[in-house]
Amino acid sequence: MKNKKSYRTLRRKLMKYGFAGTAYASIGFPTLLKAESNIKIGIPTLLSGRVAQLGISATNGIKLIIDKFNEAGGFNGRKIELIIRDSRAKPDEAARMTRNLINSNKVDIILNCEASSASFAVQEVIRESGTLCLHCISETSSLTADPSIRTWNAFRFARQGIHDAVGSASYAANLVKEKGLKKWMSIGPDYAYGRDSTATFFEILKKFSPNIEIVGQGWPKLFQPDYTEVITQIVRQKPDAIYSCLWGGDLVSFIDQAALYGTFKNSELFAINLADYTTMSAIKNLPEGLHSATRYIAAYPDRQENRDFDSAYTSRFGDHPTNWSWETAVATDFLISAIQETKSLNPKNISESLKGKSRQSFIGVGEGNTVTMRSKDQTLVNYAIGWGSTLPKEPYMKDIKAADWESIQELEKEWLTSKGWI
Amino acid sequence: MNVSIKDSFKKDAIYSVVSWIALLSLYFIFNDHGIQDIITKVAILGLFAMSLNILIGYLGLIAFGHATFFAAGAYTLGLFLQSDFIIEYNIGSWSIPIALSLSVLLPGILATIVGVICIRLREIYFSFLTLAFQMIFYSLILALVGITGGDQGLMGGFPKPPFLGIDLGIHFHFYAFTTFIVILAVFLMRQIIESPFGYGLRMIRDNHERPAALGFNIRSHQLLAFIIAGSLAGLAGSLQALLDVGAYPEWAFWSKSAEPLFMILLGGMQTFLGPLLGALIFELLNDFVSANTRYYGLILGLVILIFVLGFKKGLLDWIVIRGRKN
Repeated sequence: MKNKKSYRTLRRKLMKYGFAGTAYASIGFPTLLKAESNIKIGIPTLLSGRVAQLGISATNGIKLIIDKFNEAGGFNGRKIELIIRDSRAKPDEAARMTRNLINSNKVDIILNCEASSASFAVQEVIRESGTLCLHCISETSSLTADPSIRTWNAFRFARQGIHDAVGSASYAANLVKEKGLKKWMSIGPDYAYGRDSTATFFEILKKFSPNIEIVGQGWPKLFQPDYTEVITQIVRQKPDAIYSCLWGGDLVSFIDQAALYGTFKNSELFAINLADYTTMSAIKNLPEGLHSATRYIAAYPDRQENRDFDSAYTSRFGDHPTNWSWETAVATDFLISAIQETKSLNPKNISESLKGKSRQSFIGVGEGNTVTMRSKDQTLVNYAIGWGSTLPKEPYMKDIKAADWESIQELEKEWLTSKGWI
Repeated sequence: MNVSIKDSFKKDAIYSVVSWIALLSLYFIFNDHGIQDIITKVAILGLFAMSLNILIGYLGLIAFGHATFFAAGAYTLGLFLQSDFIIEYNIGSWSIPIALSLSVLLPGILATIVGVICIRLREIYFSFLTLAFQMIFYSLILALVGITGGDQGLMGGFPKPPFLGIDLGIHFHFYAFTTFIVILAVFLMRQIIESPFGYGLRMIRDNHERPAALGFNIRSHQLLAFIIAGSLAGLAGSLQALLDVGAYPEWAFWSKSAEPLFMILLGGMQTFLGPLLGALIFELLNDFVSANTRYYGLILGLVILIFVLGFKKGLLDWIVIRGRKN
């Protein structure tokens, strides 16, 4: 009898707990799960091939900031989880991966670490899905400058072609005057960024120095291993100066091959993408006196915070940061700040918070060393742009001259008007 | 014979309707945009591979440049939807149906031009000539930056105005519409393959000389098959462009033509739905491998090796043959 009673009691208890458990599972548990689930950030990038360094150093920049955030407890206990995908630099693959990240992996935000062509593909996917997207790599101006391409939920945290073009052209114009560099040639990768960057550089340079003459242009394919054809053209034309927006391994190969012909003894090289540690250290014998914009070096801006960023990155990853690292680090910092400020992952709320936001940064040259997300075209301004000439060893650059952001923005406005974009 | 064709038509129509209802049910069973996207992509890629299989499986012509028509369909749709023509002529809600029709028509015209030249050659010469046309088309896309966007592809998105109560901006509408169009195209393809014309293609494949001796016009059969395959690839391309909201030059590159070949190898070329199964394997493999490793090409190569050396045929072909033996 007692056994029967205890059995009944046990059964009732089981039923009670069972119902309670079911109710909790159906109402409470998912809520709890949601509250504790990670914030997912999707990163389409390129991690294979000759420019794998782009994806590696870009994602390292993100990890550096995210790890600090997660170690500090995250956002209300929610940590940030990174889901990284390799698109192999193909625009259609980048579009497919971004869709997958949004629909299958259910990411909350896209941190786009693709190069230019693939970034435009990502832009179209997020335009339709309404997912918040931070472009961290693409420097092609039209991505945010052209109103027909711009979208409310995308922000560019990468440097921009037109800003660099103005900085480069004003630096080059001084040398044109000083050294009489009249005959110019260009060598740029044959894709959107290369053509955009070269055209804008000469357009602006001609404003400062109308008498320069372009005697030849070389358009090697992206990731082309052999530059003999262009070098022969340089030898034939004997230009006073060469403008190049080749980057990464392509620039390394070009400099190594052109140096064999003594090209840089007769022509001044203005390589906008040279002053990045990984590029300069990869060149076998880096010639002294090549001109470059400061992509990323610890010596510029010459401040402790910048050196701290360099040493934190170097001690964690065993290599110096790149231009892509600072861009992604700044984007991640802005994102975290916006999430904390809005206490939300809603793309509209975060977008509103990002617009016009200024943050103190190791790379900032705005008031109080800040960089700013310009509201009108959702692009980063007031980041450090300097130009100088190379040294074969650390600190790799000397005589760095800072670009003036006031004149950059003034000439940018003129350029936008000429394009019919404002 | 007439009764049999009528019965087959009815049977295929019923299968098509049932398949569409089943796919719509899957949408609600797997209430997950990721899985629904995979189904949509498999449908589109399956149509692309099946269109190529008209040439490979039924006609015995291995075309290496089939992506030309896929890209032509994608760019036709994108350029039409972005054109001022729509506003000027107040086409509005009919822009999507017109764009899709053009995406079948223009690649069909392109296929006629390419086909007239290519079918004069046979075997490897035919294959490489289709590839040569593809590379010309690819170079044109890159060169005409002002029209095609060059290497960046078509940018700025496509307007998708609702038509007949279908709003392609709504995920379910897009899913239902895409699967409907693909099933309709597959149904039509089936009728062509099972028609006397389809059997004529098989005759040409099996013995090139005998049908000629019987007074068959081989060239016109080959050309018509080439045009049908090109038009259907164009349709697949236009659906892909709608899905990705863009069109990219990579879709006209030779490696894109290799994709349907892989799908046919994986799924089988002797069974009508083999390439569709191949598309499913290819897509799942692509999703899984690219999410878990950087060695995508290596894994894909190994899987194809297993299929070719292990099964010695595509999966569905292997299943059907095993079933018959048993």
